[in-house]
Amino acid sequence: MAAETKKVAQDLSAKLRTQKLRTAIAAIVFVVMAAGLILGVSTGTMSGFGWESISALCPLGAVATMLATKTMVPRAVISLVIMALLILVVGRAFCAWLCPSMLITRIQEFLRTPKKRRELAAETHDKMVDIAKYEITQAKESAGVKANGLSAKALGATYAAGAGDSAATVAAAATSASPANPINAASAASASAAVATASLSAQDKKALSGCGAGSCTAGCASCASAKQPHKKLDSRHYVLGGALLSTAIFGFPVFCLVCPVGLTFATVLVVWRLFAAGDMTIAVILVPALLIIELVFLRKWCTRFCPLSALMNLVSRFSKTFVPVIDDTKCLETSQGVPCSRCAQVCESDINIRHIAYGERTLADCSRCRNCADVCPTHAISFLVFAGAKAKSGARDGIPAPEAQPATVMLDEDALEVPSA
Amino acid sequence: MADKTNVPQGADAAGDATAAEGAAAPEPQGTKGAKKAKEPMSVSRRSLLIGVGSTAALLGLGAMRYAGHTPLNRPPGGQDEAHLVSACIRCERCYEACPRRVIVPAKIEDGLLGMRSPMLDFEAEYCDFCQEENGGVPKCVEACPTEALVLPAGASATSTIIGRAVIDTSTCLAYRDTGCRECYDACPYEAIQLTDVSINPHPYVVEDKCNGCGACEFSCVSMKAGSLATTGATRRAIIVQPVGTY
Repeated sequence: MAAETKKVAQDLSAKLRTQKLRTAIAAIVFVVMAAGLILGVSTGTMSGFGWESISALCPLGAVATMLATKTMVPRAVISLVIMALLILVVGRAFCAWLCPSMLITRIQEFLRTPKKRRELAAETHDKMVDIAKYEITQAKESAGVKANGLSAKALGATYAAGAGDSAATVAAAATSASPANPINAASAASASAAVATASLSAQDKKALSGCGAGSCTAGCASCASAKQPHKKLDSRHYVLGGALLSTAIFGFPVFCLVCPVGLTFATVLVVWRLFAAGDMTIAVILVPALLIIELVFLRKWCTRFCPLSALMNLVSRFSKTFVPVIDDTKCLETSQGVPCSRCAQVCESDINIRHIAYGERTLADCSRCRNCADVCPTHAISFLVFAGAKAKSGARDGIPAPEAQPATVMLDEDALEVPSA
Repeated sequence: MADKTNVPQGADAAGDATAAEGAAAPEPQGTKGAKKAKEPMSVSRRSLLIGVGSTAALLGLGAMRYAGHTPLNRPPGGQDEAHLVSACIRCERCYEACPRRVIVPAKIEDGLLGMRSPMLDFEAEYCDFCQEENGGVPKCVEACPTEALVLPAGASATSTIIGRAVIDTSTCLAYRDTGCRECYDACPYEAIQLTDVSINPHPYVVEDKCNGCGACEFSCVSMKAGSLATTGATRRAIIVQPVGTY
């Protein structure tokens, strides 16, 4: 059983094709910039990318420098406008495609022992699947009120029972028996799963008693509390506010001293100077140490701390382009009631794209990393060039709009009625 | 379709991970205490903690402004120390732009506030205001995107004072009558003159003419040619002292 979970976790990481591409792009850009820094080729770093006198400034740096000097700096203003437009088009894509912090996270992942990796993957997996199960149960319940013949409770238990070892096997067998007809397959599975539930050992029952299990149909407290309040401003914005406040009071770009992006390039510089110029300084240790403290010990830096991310969020929340949209007719959960949740498990921005309410962040923070699209077993997620209305009604709220996805409702009802026949 | 067939099996496989967060739910009374201990911090409290903690840390870091740092030789246009510190975002463009690689990041030992801000290292090279490379317009000033390095209109090498050369006569080889005149030869502005008191003239700095370009410090051989051994000197006999320190 545990082996199954591990398998899923491994499969997911193997499927992240875009992640490899992104990592390669970020690594190449970083190496080119670092080489420029060492060789004196004027490419700039990510704090001020450009050539000769042309620079695209870091938006936070641009704001901070103007705030500190209390003057308008033309190049900073132009950079801000350009950055705002870019963010409006691709959201926080910088975070997933270019930011050196992402590379450090990759290295951190790489350095984990396979055991730890599996544990972490299994933990996320279980959490997300539980949420999906709970949501499915809730959906069944509300639909089940109308259905006659089969009690909602039984059905909820049925779907939840999919978690059981034997149930899963039976379900798979049933599905493979009639692959051409998902509805039949699902109903067959649920029928057999009900049997399986009865024969489960006490320990398995305990395991099953997570969210979505039959025992918490009336609203599982743990899952309901797993819902995240999405306020307009979150902890990152407080950090941003603190950074700007300190900058305004003390009159210098305070955050720039500890910015992880800047510190990454600073690491290159101090290490290079250590060898090239024999420039021994405590910064050789301090700079990388600070970087590690920020990115490793302050958990979820990008989601909870990064003021750059906060600044980008202020614009990216209005972005309607290249956002992921779920096709509910293809999605396993909405079309077949399977708590798949893979998209939520792999999201690098802590978004639960299927059930937005449970993710720490919303689609406003999508970094276009494409992990969700890569792992979706039915290829239901696509990044539309423009997804204005669709994204808003569907994925953004996590609730399929009835007029947009009539198929969902119908499928659910079918699933309810077939077993009773 | 093959995909679909496999999915339920895999996706449902979570069941047995009893210890997993979400699975800790019902089992009403018995496990409640244990579960509560494990429960993550509420979102709003966490946000508040992060916000308050980070703001405090950043304000503390900001207070470094009052701690100050050792005065440094700044690149052209960075002589208004307060302005440089205010405007510099440590983007490192000036290091790259400098054709002579004389601009280096300031060390943390010179003060946390100035760390990674640009300074001139005359042991490596000297600043000729890009006379050769860019017709007298410093490239670092051109490259600086935040105008932390900014020269007034019509500024020239002679009107921009980076610092002033000072000779340490106790370590200077010329003052030990070796006949050394490296700095005299190097100075582009005739700011170093020689006393004509003996056959071994001693150099001295003409303060009005010195703009702190560092050519003399760069050319000084005292460390290579004896001062280190005889007097235990740790720096060259002629060094440029930053504006405001003399």
